[in-house]
Amino acid sequence: MSSSGPDLVCQLDNVQGMVDALTAVRWKRHQDAVMELSEHGVVLIVEETRCLQAKVYLQRELFVQYEYSAQGRPRFGVSLSLFVNCLNTFSVPGRSNMIEIRYPGPDMQLLLKSVDSMDACIYAEIRTRIPDTISWDYNFEPAGSTPLSFTVKSAALKEAIDDLEWPGSSIQITLEPVPPSVTFRGEGHGDLQIDFMYYANTDLLIAFHCDHRVSYRYKYKFLRATTSNIPSSVIRDNRGSKLTIGRGGMLKVQHLVSVARPSIPHPHVDSAGYQQPSRIAYIEFFVKPEEYEEDIQNGS
Amino acid sequence: MKFKAFLTDNGTSLLEKRFLPALDKMGKVCHLYFTRDHTIFLHNLLNGDGVQSIAQFRKEALFDNYRISSQNDDRIAFTIDLSLLQRAIRSSVSIYAEMGGGDDVGTGSNRLQIKLVKKLPPNSHQPLPFLTFESKGYKSAVIQDVPISKPLSRADVLELQSALDMAQDLPRTLVQVPDLNQLQNYVDRMKHVGDLLNISISKYGDLHVQISTTLITLGAEFRKLLVVGEQEEVPAEDRDLSAQSRTQRAVQRGDAQTVQVSMKHFAKSLQCHLAKPDCAFYGIAQEGACLTVIFQFFIPGSRQNDKSISLHCRLPVLDPGSS
Repeated sequence: MSSSGPDLVCQLDNVQGMVDALTAVRWKRHQDAVMELSEHGVVLIVEETRCLQAKVYLQRELFVQYEYSAQGRPRFGVSLSLFVNCLNTFSVPGRSNMIEIRYPGPDMQLLLKSVDSMDACIYAEIRTRIPDTISWDYNFEPAGSTPLSFTVKSAALKEAIDDLEWPGSSIQITLEPVPPSVTFRGEGHGDLQIDFMYYANTDLLIAFHCDHRVSYRYKYKFLRATTSNIPSSVIRDNRGSKLTIGRGGMLKVQHLVSVARPSIPHPHVDSAGYQQPSRIAYIEFFVKPEEYEEDIQNGS
Repeated sequence: MKFKAFLTDNGTSLLEKRFLPALDKMGKVCHLYFTRDHTIFLHNLLNGDGVQSIAQFRKEALFDNYRISSQNDDRIAFTIDLSLLQRAIRSSVSIYAEMGGGDDVGTGSNRLQIKLVKKLPPNSHQPLPFLTFESKGYKSAVIQDVPISKPLSRADVLELQSALDMAQDLPRTLVQVPDLNQLQNYVDRMKHVGDLLNISISKYGDLHVQISTTLITLGAEFRKLLVVGEQEEVPAEDRDLSAQSRTQRAVQRGDAQTVQVSMKHFAKSLQCHLAKPDCAFYGIAQEGACLTVIFQFFIPGSRQNDKSISLHCRLPVLDPGSS
């Protein structure tokens, strides 16, 4: 044990919520992630081929207990699949699962253990790596004075992106101020266009901000990664996802995942749908547009 | 060589609803072994590398009018495909239900008769052995033939019997797992993390399962379990240690044993829960020869052990570990 004590000791009472949040950024079997600890919480970052990055923000408010005592912001690399599979082991359905997460262990491991039962204990030690430097800084800057963004029901977004699978490799997203609408268009083996009209579908397209027409193309596989593992709780809670187009066509996709304690029916509480408002994990994806595609598109 | 018996209602439901689904998970084909007093389903007893499972029933637990004779001390054994056996019993049950059975249970006239026969199958010149199921109704009878292997030779039956005798050794310390579902749930999730499982069992009543690879160590420790056989008090200085150091110290003291088994085998043995056992005991055989799991069944409505039914598994050990 190091004499200075661990950088972080925290406790979480909803393991499944954390599993859900981390699963949302798991778009393939083996992925390396970087975890960054700070006094504000834990951020997990995954990246692919300098074109796609995802971040999961687990703010300290999600934890029952959060004791942070490091200088600077410790970062370490960890296998995402191993971390998620391991966490999943701690999540026993039908009962609350309190775990303690601690970093670093004597050999720089990430340590997990269940703390809710005296006679049965689950523990894990996950080896960490020195993190790769994040090669490309996904500095997201607004495209102009008015944000170009829209909020759509997560279920509808996922469905639209799933449907765009067959036309294939590249998807064009267009935002149009008049009439206010968002268009997803895929061209490949065939054409498929999905329109969200703001006034026609206010229950699907919840918010819309756009003062000039923009249009960018994104690789289908990257778009798909943003919704392929949306946790079922997001759909169940009928949440929305916010998409913003920034400078240069960088697309930001944000989801909200509940890490609230599973609401146990309580005889003294009348309102059934009570949820702790702050217990949300934020998921962000950044997708780079296909370069020069716009020109080719115009020339053809 | 003759075998003929009537499967009782109780026996039918024991097999159909509980044991055959569980045994089918252990392996599609098994040995079915009839003796004067017992019927035994055996997996992997003669070929050594899988999970051995032994389900033994006293003849009254399954049959009445049980008649067996063979020149080999009234023992008959053969291999049988469990899914075919299950299908035959299941359809007999449904035929029986359709015939509105249950009215004349007492008469014994429309129950399920099982018989060992040799028949000439269509398009064949050589008679082949079958286990025949005959359900007699009021107006009709349905006969189903389940193909089986040629009955085992005298030498093979002897070998099977001696393997069975050897498999009866009890570990010195057994711990009771009170909640098999919990363990199964846990192992189901753990499966994704690694292929090899270290199992430690101590005389203090600890069961410790652990996966350890270069990237991760993931384990679960269940403490204060009921111990059958050799037991010891937990040394006071060990109580507040981590699961791993506690196990390590217990092994050093000779109060615990650790073996390594395949995750696949362990998960498979947990499928025995389909037989709806009332409790399960885990133990490590002497010199770490195997991991033994013993399932117990209570007499319905009581907490008394039903001695007419027994089920246990023996998991091959990959690394005899610290024993």
